[in-house]
Amino acid sequence: MQLDFQAREVTVKLVYYGPALSGKTTNLQAIHRLLTPEGKGRLMTLETRDDRTLFFDLLPLTVNTEMGLTVRIKLFTVPGQVIHNSTRRLVLQGADGVAFIADSQVAEVRANQASFKDLRKNLRENGIDPAAMPLVIQYNKRDLPNVRSEEEIMRMASQGKERIYLATATHGAGVADTFMGLIGTTWENMERQHKLTERFGLNEQAVMSDLRRRFGPPVEATKHG
Amino acid sequence: MDESKTADISYGEIANLEDLIDRDSLREVCRSFFDLFGLSIRVFSQRGSLLANVHEERSVCRYVNSLTKGRVACAETVAQAQMLVPEGGTTVTHNCFTGAVYHVVPIIYDERQLGRIVIGPFLPSETNEIPASLLHIDPQVEPARARLALAEMPRVRAQTAGRIATHLRGVLDLILFSGHRARLTSAMHLATVRENYRELSEKNTRLQDAYDKLKELDRLKSNFLATVSHELRTPLTSIIGYSEMLEAGIAGDLSPEQLGFVETIRTKGELLLQLISSLLDLNKLERGQLSISTEYVDPRAVLAEVKDTCLPEAEKKHIKLELSWHQDVPAVQADPVRLRQILINLVSNAVKFTPDSGRVDLSVKTTEMRVAQGDDDDDDAGGFGAALMMAPERAVEFCVKDTGIGIPEAEIAKIFDAFYQVDGSSTREYGGAGLGLSIARSLVEAHHGTIRVASELGQGTSFFVTLPEAQPDQA
Repeated sequence: MQLDFQAREVTVKLVYYGPALSGKTTNLQAIHRLLTPEGKGRLMTLETRDDRTLFFDLLPLTVNTEMGLTVRIKLFTVPGQVIHNSTRRLVLQGADGVAFIADSQVAEVRANQASFKDLRKNLRENGIDPAAMPLVIQYNKRDLPNVRSEEEIMRMASQGKERIYLATATHGAGVADTFMGLIGTTWENMERQHKLTERFGLNEQAVMSDLRRRFGPPVEATKHG
Repeated sequence: MDESKTADISYGEIANLEDLIDRDSLREVCRSFFDLFGLSIRVFSQRGSLLANVHEERSVCRYVNSLTKGRVACAETVAQAQMLVPEGGTTVTHNCFTGAVYHVVPIIYDERQLGRIVIGPFLPSETNEIPASLLHIDPQVEPARARLALAEMPRVRAQTAGRIATHLRGVLDLILFSGHRARLTSAMHLATVRENYRELSEKNTRLQDAYDKLKELDRLKSNFLATVSHELRTPLTSIIGYSEMLEAGIAGDLSPEQLGFVETIRTKGELLLQLISSLLDLNKLERGQLSISTEYVDPRAVLAEVKDTCLPEAEKKHIKLELSWHQDVPAVQADPVRLRQILINLVSNAVKFTPDSGRVDLSVKTTEMRVAQGDDDDDDAGGFGAALMMAPERAVEFCVKDTGIGIPEAEIAKIFDAFYQVDGSSTREYGGAGLGLSIARSLVEAHHGTIRVASELGQGTSFFVTLPEAQPDQA
C-alpha cells in the first residue's frame, strides 16, 4: 500500500496469481468488461506472445471518496509459465492482496499446487510471511467437464481460512465476487495495520458499495451438464 | 535502477508527462492539428514545461505588438493563458482583450492531471463586433486597421472548439498509453534481467562451493588410494617373495600338488600387485605426478618388442599376432617404457577379447594430427585464425586391430573411464579391474597424443594411438 498525503491518495496493489492458463488475464478482462466506465483505466497488457502473458497485465481502477480521498486500485496478473519466475517475484513486490486463480479441472491439481508453492516461495523471498498475505482462491473454469465438484471444493475449503470462489471467467461469472472478496479481505488487513478509518476517515463500506455498484448485475454461473 | 523505475514496476504508476511523451512525436501531432484546424496549440506539463508549441502569429497580434501599451497587454494575456491550470478536469476559457479566446484543456491520464493543452487564440464565431477592449488598449489603435487584422483571426464555433479539444485529448491519451506501456515494458525488462542475474550469481556461488568440496573430496580419495595401495603392496611383496622361496625349494621339497598350490598363490599375488601398481599409476596420472622422460623412439622397434611380449599369451589361444609398418614412419618423442605399456595394454586387451583362433594385427603408419598449442585453446573454437591454427602436424598412428567381440556403440564413450567394464556383472566372462584403458588414455594424453576406438559388434575392435612426430628442437 502506498499513501500519498499530499495528493490524498491511497494506492492498493492486488495480484492475480496462479498456474499457466488458469484464467488470470481472463479475470481482468472480465472485470474490465463488467465495470462501468467511471474510474476505470485501460487494461494494459505487457508483452504477450501467442496469447500468453510474458510480463503482466495491469488494470487501474479509481474510487473517489466523499472525504476527498482517492483510492487507486491496481490489478496485476503474473505470467503463469514456470520459466517466468523472476517476473512473478517482481510483480509480487508490494502486493497488498493476492487472488489465486486455480484451474478446476481434476487433471490440473498438481499445476495448482505447484503454483501455490511457488507463490509461497516467492512471497518468502520477497520477505513476506505467506500466512500474513490477504488471499482469496478462485476455482475457475467451472463450465468445463471433468472439474472437481463444488461439494468437494467446499469440503476442502472448510479446512482452510481463505475465502473460496467459483468462477467461469470467460463468461464473467464469479469474477466480480472474487474481486470484491479480494479487496474486502485486503482492506480488512490494511485497516488493521494502518487504521485507515481512524486516521484518514476512509470508509470501507463506502468504497465497497461504490465498487459493487459499478459492476453490472451478477452473472449467473453456468454449470456443465 | 533509480527509485522511480522501481516504483513504476511496483504500482505501474506514471507521475510526469515528460516521462511518457516523445517530444518530437507530440510536436508532429500538434502540427497536424494545426494544419487541419488552423489553430495554435501549446502543450504544457503539470510542472509548466512547454513540451510542444505549434503556433502562428496572427495579424491582430502582430498589430497589437507594434504598439507600446498593446505589447505589454498582449504579453500579460499570453502569460496568464499559459499559467492557467484547469481544476476538476474541465476546460477553462481565457479571454483576450482582442475578443479572441484561449481554451485550456487538462490532460488527464489514469485519473491524474499530467498537464494541459492551450488551444488558441481563436475568435468565437459568435463575435461580430470589434470589442471595445481592443480599441481602448492603446491610444494609437486605428479601428480600421484593427478590424482588418482581426478579420484574419481564425473563427471557430464554441461547440467545434470543444470537439477539437476532445479529439486532441483522445489522440494524446493513446500516445500516453503507448508511452506508458513502453516505459513499463523496458523497466520490467531491466528488472527481470537484474533479477535473473542475481539468481544466477547465487546459483553460481553454490555450484562453486559444491565444486570446491568435490575437488577436496577428490584429493582425499587420491591420497587415500595412494596410502592404501602402498600399505597393500608391502605385505604382498612378502607373500610373493615367500611363495617364490617355497617354489624354489628353499624350505624343502614340495609335492607336485603343493607346488601347484604355491604357484597359484604366487601368480595371483603378482596379479594383485599389478592391479595395485595400476591403481598407483592412475592415481599419479590423475594428480599429474607421473613423470615421463621422453626420447627419440622408433615406433617400429617398440611395436616389435610389444609383439614379442604378447606372443605367448596369444599363442595360448591360437591367435595370430601380425605386425606391419610403412618404411617411412618417423620417430616419435616418447617415454619408451610408457609407450610400451600403452601398446601392451591394447594388445593384451585385444587378445583377451578375441575368441580362440582369431587374429590381432599391429601396425604403424604416418598420418597427420592437430596438436594443441599451449592451453589457450578456447580461442580456436570460433575458427579464429583457423587457416593457421587448424593446420595439422605430421604424426604417427599405431593401430591394434582384433577380430574380437566388439564394443556396443553406447559403451564406446565410457570405455576409457576408470573402473569401467562393458559387462559389469559379477558373472562376466572377462576379468580385469577396468583400469587399463583409463591409464592408457592418460599416458597417451601425457604424450600430447590422442587415442580413439572404432568397433563393430561381433566383428572386432580397432584402437588407434596417434602421437606427434618428434620435433628436432625438442631433442
